[in-house]
Amino acid sequence: MNAVNTDDAEVYEQYTAQIAPDTIKLQTRNLDFFYGKNQALHSVTLPVINKGVTALIGPSGCGKSTLLRAMNRIYGLYPGQRAAGEIMLDGQNILDKKVDVATLRSRVGMVFQKPTPFPMSIHDNVAFGVRLYEGLNRAEMEQRVEESLRKAALWDEVKDKLRHSGLSLSGGQQQRLCVARGIAVRPEVLLLDEPASALDPVSTAKLEETIVELKKDYTIVIVTHNLQQATRVSDNTGFMFLGRLIEFAPTAELFSAPKAKRTADYIGGRFG
Amino acid sequence: MASFRRARRSVASGAFTGFCWVVTGVALAALALILWSLLVKGIGGIDQNTFTMDTPAAGSVGGLRNAIVGSVIMCAMAMVIAVVVGVLAGTWLAEYGRNSVYANLVRFLNDILLSAPSVLIGLFVYEFMVAPFHGFSAIAGAFALALIAVPIITRTTEDVLKLQPTALREAGMALGTPHWSAIRQILWKSAGSGILTGGLLAFARISGETAPLLFTSLNEQFLNFNLTKEMASLPVVIFNDALSAYDDLVRLAWAGALIIAVAVLGTNVLARIITRERHPS
Repeated sequence: MNAVNTDDAEVYEQYTAQIAPDTIKLQTRNLDFFYGKNQALHSVTLPVINKGVTALIGPSGCGKSTLLRAMNRIYGLYPGQRAAGEIMLDGQNILDKKVDVATLRSRVGMVFQKPTPFPMSIHDNVAFGVRLYEGLNRAEMEQRVEESLRKAALWDEVKDKLRHSGLSLSGGQQQRLCVARGIAVRPEVLLLDEPASALDPVSTAKLEETIVELKKDYTIVIVTHNLQQATRVSDNTGFMFLGRLIEFAPTAELFSAPKAKRTADYIGGRFG
Repeated sequence: MASFRRARRSVASGAFTGFCWVVTGVALAALALILWSLLVKGIGGIDQNTFTMDTPAAGSVGGLRNAIVGSVIMCAMAMVIAVVVGVLAGTWLAEYGRNSVYANLVRFLNDILLSAPSVLIGLFVYEFMVAPFHGFSAIAGAFALALIAVPIITRTTEDVLKLQPTALREAGMALGTPHWSAIRQILWKSAGSGILTGGLLAFARISGETAPLLFTSLNEQFLNFNLTKEMASLPVVIFNDALSAYDDLVRLAWAGALIIAVAVLGTNVLARIITRERHPS
């Protein structure tokens, strides 16, 4: 390992300074996050590049899921959880109280760790979010459902049973159904919270192919425990530890030549 | 030493399993005896008059038509009220009130109501809906039954909604669904069979309740559809006739008991079939 113990704060700033501002879709700035009195994030500044995959890695409890859950304000469901700082989406601070969460969530979709199909048909699962925002006629809706299922690489497996319950699918299929449901509303950003952790290797491989494919149209942030997965799907990777962003760099660079010692220790398997 | 310990364990295990079997047998035997006598004596009391004629005076021919109709009307009204109030209250407790002081108070009072003796509920409704109007009525009867059903439905609705995975709730909200629509379109559907079970429990409970009806709807010899007048019901007819000195009245009481049991069983089975069709596993 050629890792040097540089001051962590400087490490990712070196790289982020090189990123052209107009390629940044979403950026957290000095983001603090609190669970009651417990501070889970400390001044996190993370750029998310437009139409790329940004991976967040780090040991359990490091704050990577917390960071992700701040980006669509889903934490707002729970009184006592709050964020301070800024999260800029196309130049607008989404933490601003004036921002309508429904509109925000139509722009920033999310897929969870465990598949969460709704108790309705495959078709209605995908159409559910679309109906909230758009009044499509029947033919348009059919088209949107097909298009979303194709993008999520699920169409061929379900095209003959769209009226069957979403719960009748296998775990891997359910997760791709959730991806289809998320992209059906045509969000700009897609947040994936350990989307493959409950899946078998074959389903995981399929989901990863889907992610790489989706990158053409969407900006993706993925939290993963699986370091190989981060190297396979992502363009940039952020390493988090104890609520801080320790290092942020192009994925290949971060894994081959980590600059911070803790990054090197983590990806070298010395802890985590 | 080791083999002795193993032998002792297997004896203890065998004894415990055997004990469980015996106790289960005793409980089931009691149930079987009740059902058997109900079936034998009840079927003997049912003929074509049971469903076509009203409750007779002692010594004359009659049936249970007015009591069956009365029970159906009052139970149906009570269930409509109780399902609306109970499901909404349970949903509020699980989704909005949660652990607030007010929610805890409501939860506590609901639990008290859940275990309140039904005779007290009958007296309460008598004071508020019968005495002031100087008359017994089917509306008061239905209201008393609803008061018994509401806490059961409230409690089960809250419990099954709390059992729904957080991720499902979050997945709904993550699409930008307003909380209320997420509850209506996702959580209620997902918890549907549990909520239905609560409703069935409540229905089973109120369909056999006698005490609250004695103070509210009383009884009526003839078929009556006027909700502001007295109305006959199966439990009250059973209560009046079962201990009478006339054999044909006692037979009618048994027939009434069997009809209640079959109605409760029938709705249970029907509801299971419906939910299974809607949620194929």
